[in-house]
Amino acid sequence: MKEDEKKELVTPGEVLGTASELKAGKGAYFSANDKTIYASLTGFRSIIPAPIDATDQRPTVEVTGHKAHGAVPEPGSVVIARITKVMARMASADIMCVGPKSVREKFTGIIRQQDVRATEIDKVEMHASFHPGDIVRALVLSLGDARAYYLSTAKNELGVVSAESSAGGEMVPISWTEMQCPLTGQIERRKVAKVGA
Amino acid sequence: MESKPSSSPPNFIDQQVVPGDVVLDLSTMTNQTIKLGSGLRQDGDAISAIKAGVLRFAKPNKYWVESSQKRYVPCAGDTVLGIVVDSRSDNFLVDIKGPTLAFLPVLAFEGGTRRNIPKFEVGTLLYVRVVKANVGMNPELSCMDASGKAAEFGRLKDGYMFESSTGLSRMLLSSPTCPVLEAFGKNLSFEIAVGLNGRVWVNAESPANLILVANAIMKSESLSAVQQKILVERLLKRVQ
Repeated sequence: MKEDEKKELVTPGEVLGTASELKAGKGAYFSANDKTIYASLTGFRSIIPAPIDATDQRPTVEVTGHKAHGAVPEPGSVVIARITKVMARMASADIMCVGPKSVREKFTGIIRQQDVRATEIDKVEMHASFHPGDIVRALVLSLGDARAYYLSTAKNELGVVSAESSAGGEMVPISWTEMQCPLTGQIERRKVAKVGA
Repeated sequence: MESKPSSSPPNFIDQQVVPGDVVLDLSTMTNQTIKLGSGLRQDGDAISAIKAGVLRFAKPNKYWVESSQKRYVPCAGDTVLGIVVDSRSDNFLVDIKGPTLAFLPVLAFEGGTRRNIPKFEVGTLLYVRVVKANVGMNPELSCMDASGKAAEFGRLKDGYMFESSTGLSRMLLSSPTCPVLEAFGKNLSFEIAVGLNGRVWVNAESPANLILVANAIMKSESLSAVQQKILVERLLKRVQ
């Protein structure tokens, strides 16, 4: 058994050990008909010794894939996302960072009309809140459906953090509903995040 | 473009402009608020044209470029002719010759409720009003005017629809009445619906009259008022 080399590269289907010696952790699975542990990801295998007071003293073998060290949005985490599409009752966004870490794979989020702000949610105009290309800070409400997470910007510190005007300049926030273009002086409406103290 | 002496700044109002022409210099116009319409763009202190057409000015402070093209860019408040492409549970998908399909909510009709949703087949021609037209989103339409009345919006029955340029549509809608329409109106009876998206619908009692009116309208875009009257007189003489 290669227990000493903790950073060995394995591929899916490779035998990691027998079930009598090891437990299957993340990236590995237990096959019942031949009682062996196989890898299910391509990555580095590592063996975690069992806790001292556990009844089952077998160490756990894990395979860490290349996406494993990326962040994954969880309900309650604050994410930074870029708006990709604005429709009549919802906006689609690409999640770029979870907290301070960037993500390693593509996650999609949806901001529904009722989750844009906390007051007067039925009078929300999506086009006066977001435009495609805006960077927003949002809160993950739930895992949503198979296609996208559900996000919310219904707090003072959530909303558009950075946006480009139609003339191409990076806009400066002037209130929680307006941002101004420095090149043309035009004011555009957004749901602006309150940054700072 | 006419060339003017370089001592006074050239005045482009009612002149042909092409993309790139700097038509206004804000540094010479202090303490004024001007409104820029379509076809103009601000680059710091210089206002330049971004479309080819005629620069117009309306008192007190509106400037815009009038151009004619076959493409239509949806704009809120326009009345257009749309063709139903598909129907969903909450709106009809309508083609209005824009970059994307437009949505017509099933309840956007006078007295519209969930129980009396109109049934439009694919291919139905509708006269509708554009309610919202934002960049990146599908335009939203309505078959009611701003106060909620039906006001001639809805399905156009019979007749003949042809495509035109946006300039011709605007000419047909101008007031006083366009010469070709006025000349026909004195001698024939016909119905016309003009869409700002470059579609025109005409209906008349007999197919011959209908074709006459449609062909005359299509020819009259580049004709002056007098030429239009002469054209109509010649055509009517041949028919009657």
